[in-house]
Amino acid sequence: MITTNDLTKKYGGHIALDNLNLNVKEGEIYCLLGANGAGKTTTINLLLGFIEPTSGSAFINQLNVHENPKATKQFLAYIPENLMLYPSLTAVENLDYFSGIAGKKPTTTALKGFLEDAGLQPEAYDKRTSTFSKGMRQKVGIAIALAKDAKVLLLDEPTSGLDPKASNEFGNLLQKLRKKGVATLMATHDLFRAKEVATHIGIMKGGQLKQQFMADDISLSQLEKAYLNTMDYKETVS
Amino acid sequence: MIGKTFIKETKELFREGRVRISLFIVLALLGVAVWISTRQYEAVNDQYAAAKTTERSVWDGQGEKNPHSAAHYGTYAFKPKYPLSLVDQGVDKYAGTSIFLEAHNRNDAQFSAAADQTGLARFGDLTPDFILLFIIPLLIILLGYNSLTKEREMGTLALLKSQGISFWKMILGKWTALFLPILVITVTLFLIAGVVLSRIEDFGVFNWDALLAMCLIYIMYYAVFTNLVLIVSALTRKSGVSLVIALSMWIAACLAAPKMATNVANNQHPYPTAQEFAASILEDKENGLDGHNPWSEESKKLEQDVLAKYGVDSLHQLPFNFDGYRMQKGEEHAAEVYFKHYKLLKDQYERQSEVYQGLAVLSPYLPTRFMSMAVAHTDYGTHWDFSDAAEKYRIATQKFLNEHFAENSGYGEWGWQADADFWQQLPAFEYEPTSLKSTIREQKANLSILGIWLLLSFSGLLLTVKRF
Repeated sequence: MITTNDLTKKYGGHIALDNLNLNVKEGEIYCLLGANGAGKTTTINLLLGFIEPTSGSAFINQLNVHENPKATKQFLAYIPENLMLYPSLTAVENLDYFSGIAGKKPTTTALKGFLEDAGLQPEAYDKRTSTFSKGMRQKVGIAIALAKDAKVLLLDEPTSGLDPKASNEFGNLLQKLRKKGVATLMATHDLFRAKEVATHIGIMKGGQLKQQFMADDISLSQLEKAYLNTMDYKETVS
Repeated sequence: MIGKTFIKETKELFREGRVRISLFIVLALLGVAVWISTRQYEAVNDQYAAAKTTERSVWDGQGEKNPHSAAHYGTYAFKPKYPLSLVDQGVDKYAGTSIFLEAHNRNDAQFSAAADQTGLARFGDLTPDFILLFIIPLLIILLGYNSLTKEREMGTLALLKSQGISFWKMILGKWTALFLPILVITVTLFLIAGVVLSRIEDFGVFNWDALLAMCLIYIMYYAVFTNLVLIVSALTRKSGVSLVIALSMWIAACLAAPKMATNVANNQHPYPTAQEFAASILEDKENGLDGHNPWSEESKKLEQDVLAKYGVDSLHQLPFNFDGYRMQKGEEHAAEVYFKHYKLLKDQYERQSEVYQGLAVLSPYLPTRFMSMAVAHTDYGTHWDFSDAAEKYRIATQKFLNEHFAENSGYGEWGWQADADFWQQLPAFEYEPTSLKSTIREQKANLSILGIWLLLSFSGLLLTVKRF
């Protein structure tokens, strides 16, 4: 579903992403770990078609993102670190608008169903989102993905700033989507959440994918150690 | 997607307090302005009707009198307030409402509304045209300055992009949402004006076509402003910056450009001062025949020519009163002099108008203002036309009186008097302003300029989509 072949992005002399090769299949959740500037967000922006690659290619559902920007967007949903909605519109109205842009025309009942599946409390459906917490907005983001029937989910630090309960709920939602066959690529700093939700984990540094693991093959402490080793914090862990 | 964006934007707009408040203020101002203008319109036209009737009855009731005395006694040509002045008062306030028509002299219009006010009149009046030309563009800015910047600032842009939004469709949706309230306000105002005008007595030429034409002109003007505001919003990153740029644009287009155009026009093609104008007319008049002076060289020459033409030795032998004949010839000379000098003035006005038209490329306000005034018959063109019609009537009146004097009395009979019922034979002064068709034809250049503004601004808006 998500494939990158030697994907590279340079800004002048600075290499933001260096020959990234990734493959995330249906029903997989791939967590990209790394410090700020590791290249996680650049990867997501390239997959979204927001920026052009310097070399290499990115594919969504076997379609080259940069050759088919419109078509690839039909398959993906995106939740940024701080998902913002229109504050003067209700949750249902926001969902209706974003679904409409994607060419979907769900009924109000269906929209409420998506919000319910995303875990939003029913009393919030018709409330203006100006009063929503970040966790509630992220749930609307998931509802947007559900309404779109997205095959690919791109998440950029979605749990950053969420309280543990909200973060846990978000993880559960991702698992639900995984079971539906959605391929997810999530950039995060949160090792614990990555270990909890991911099927695959990659550690990036300086635009390079340094290490990859199957999530089931590694414990949280091993993951932490690997992460810190990659980040050159060897002395701290030893 | 256009419809979805339109609905979303409309909901957002009307749920914001600032929009509701500003719409309420504009509607309240419009209501007050229409009410004030209607009252003024009715009051001025009542005065017009009363003055016209009174003046005519004074003329008709002069009794037995020498026609040339009646010519000096004079009469008035009154300019009515035209129906669409309810919407655009144009230069009416400064142009004068009546012209005194007398023998030998062409007078300018007098009794302007501005002359009846104190210096405070410089602050201007609350009129529908003020709201249409200045306040509604401001409202467009207030409603639309953040239309696109907010997508960046709120962070919804990334989500929109990821949903595969078509930007030109989004912009068309936003354009419609911004333009529709303005369209509703404008159409409502013109509908109210139409209903008011069709219900009250008027002395002009109200027709719905002219009202519709005026409404369309303003709709074009607002469409240009909507485009410009959205272009600014698309090209800036911060709403504050967008607001400042849009307001600067409004100041430049609506306040600075017209004043600058006035300065340039006056500098390039200055009008003579009133004293210079009067002095040059007097000089030319003195170089020709004075109907009142039988001893002048010109009078003597005329006398010789007429005697030779009729083959008689004495003015007493002529089949008409030579005094009346000379008076008419003197009038004809004066009329030529006035025609020449007013033509020079008019030519200068035309040149100034051309300067305005040239500078209209700098601001959509200028062509809109000129077209609006022309359709409302409150522009200087109409005033000139009225003034020319009054002068034609004055010349015809003098001819009518002089010929009656010449044909019905003998040479030297200055004491001869016309019958008391003679005055009623003089047709009343009637003035019909140009038809809507002619006005639109005359305003072709301004219409084209506004059309170009509309086309270019709309193309510019669609081009900015690429940069958004």
